[in-house]
Amino acid sequence: MRAIIFSWEYPPRVVGQLSGYVSALSTQLAKSKVDINVVTYDDSDTGQTQEPSGVKTFRVANPVRNHIGVLTWVLTLNQEVERAAANIYYDSNKQVDLIDVHDWHFIPAAVTLKNGLGIPFVYSVESLEDHRSPNAISSYNLAIKSIEWLGFFEAERISVKSEWMKDEINRIYKVPKEKITTIATDPELWIEEILKLYNRVARTQE
Amino acid sequence: MKDKLSVMMLSWEYPPRVIGGISPHIYFLSKHLAKQDVKVYVVTCDFPGAPAHEVIDNVEVYRIDSYKNPSPDFATWVYLMNMNMQKETAILTRKLADKIDVFHAHDWLVANAGIGLKHVFRKPLLVTMHSTEMGRRDGLHSTTEKMIHETEAWLTYEAWKVICCSDYMISHVKYAFGLPNDKLVMVPNGVNVHNYDGGNDLREFRSKFALPEEKIVLFVGRLVYEKGIHVLINAVPKVLSKVNAKFIIVGSGYMKEQLLNIVRSMGLEHKVLFEGFMDEATLLQLQKSADVSVVPSLFEPFGIVALEAMAAQSPVVASDTGGLSEIIEHDVTGVKVYPNNPDSLAWGITKVLLDDNYAKNLRENAYKRVQEKYDWEKIAQQTKRIYEGVLGEYSKSFWA
Repeated sequence: MRAIIFSWEYPPRVVGQLSGYVSALSTQLAKSKVDINVVTYDDSDTGQTQEPSGVKTFRVANPVRNHIGVLTWVLTLNQEVERAAANIYYDSNKQVDLIDVHDWHFIPAAVTLKNGLGIPFVYSVESLEDHRSPNAISSYNLAIKSIEWLGFFEAERISVKSEWMKDEINRIYKVPKEKITTIATDPELWIEEILKLYNRVARTQE
Repeated sequence: MKDKLSVMMLSWEYPPRVIGGISPHIYFLSKHLAKQDVKVYVVTCDFPGAPAHEVIDNVEVYRIDSYKNPSPDFATWVYLMNMNMQKETAILTRKLADKIDVFHAHDWLVANAGIGLKHVFRKPLLVTMHSTEMGRRDGLHSTTEKMIHETEAWLTYEAWKVICCSDYMISHVKYAFGLPNDKLVMVPNGVNVHNYDGGNDLREFRSKFALPEEKIVLFVGRLVYEKGIHVLINAVPKVLSKVNAKFIIVGSGYMKEQLLNIVRSMGLEHKVLFEGFMDEATLLQLQKSADVSVVPSLFEPFGIVALEAMAAQSPVVASDTGGLSEIIEHDVTGVKVYPNNPDSLAWGITKVLLDDNYAKNLRENAYKRVQEKYDWEKIAQQTKRIYEGVLGEYSKSFWA
């Protein structure tokens, strides 16, 4: 199986908890014989490398340096993410089984790749805009929420780390709970459940 | 190998959505490319009442929901609109089993969609730069302006070829983005001379605007500083001292009040008419009725108004700047005057109005010139040849 993970943070770039999580996840997947490719952002250290664990990384920088906010910054970075993912796709003879997108930043790229190349995606939720910015209703926050919504709508499956988050996504975005998988935190079961989820999503590819 | 060359045209405006010059440009270019046996798909923003899909003059037009996401400001709206445009175009391209040969983007307003689609489908991207942020703002002053400028630079970097509508724009774009010569290609803007066919008895129409003994001097454009309308207003008394004329101003803009006050203080309200916006049919008639059409711009990337006047067989007096310098050949297809100089402008207008033979010559030469050089059919042929050239290079690349 070949999978691509999208995450806006990955070591050495650490913004929050996501970086460490994605690193542990990709290492475990590589151990489980998944051809795992992480597409992530780095301001200067760009390009493709392979880590000793077998995880392949593809780091892209933002082609536009001046920005008026996180939204425009994210939206111009997405085309570079698409370029990286498309390169992996064409270099592997168009054999990419799925994309696993962590949080909202690279949802636009995942949506284009799904609709353009037929690669299904999992939306893995670390946090939601409603929790990061409680009660914020500026058009800026609503725009981010609209991207989260797009992700829930277009994703093949949604993956969360707790029943609480499943309930929240169901409550805020009216996503049916059947579309959401809660991944066990048990270190024994964890990667197995993710592999099960990946296999389920990969099979939906046309 | 497949039969027809097909192009996916990306534009933020297409009729009936008309914001600036890109909309009519895409309309005519697509229509005439279709006549050249090119299959054209246009993906554009929605407009109240216009269908999500229709076929116009053999061109497949798709309108996307462009106000889906809340946006804090215009620039962020543009990027969010691109996210939606890219998704819809990806769906369409996949449905067509990738039978798209090139993506053709127009201005930074569709940069992200064009760049993303290029990489996802691995097809060449072409861009037409109609204007630049640097030119529009006369420099880069705010973060927004710098961001837009960099987006333009990124788009021209990703494009296989960059098309500009005048030599002036070619040199401007080359300087603004540091592009190599072989990436730039000039294809002029076009004008449809047949728009002005028929209805040649204009006496009655003319009488709504001017007395029979008055010559009509026409200005069409936004009433903003860069269009130099204030230069024309200052030239009015100078012209009137030599010849009886009516000045008709079509268009609107922030300078309107100020200009009205100047005209009032000169006591010339009966000689200068501010018509505001005008429907196209009336405007076409008026352009045909004008004894002289004036384009006094201070900054002009192309100058489509001058071409329209030439197609309407109205003699043109234009300032010698930007794209206008290339369109007008002095004493042959029009009169060139010094920019921002009311005396020079008055001299040009008077010369045309007082010498009927001279005016007739300009009119005939200009009409011939637009048919030779600014005909949409020829422009579509040139554009098709650019597509074919790019595809030839592409076929030898590892993407093919």
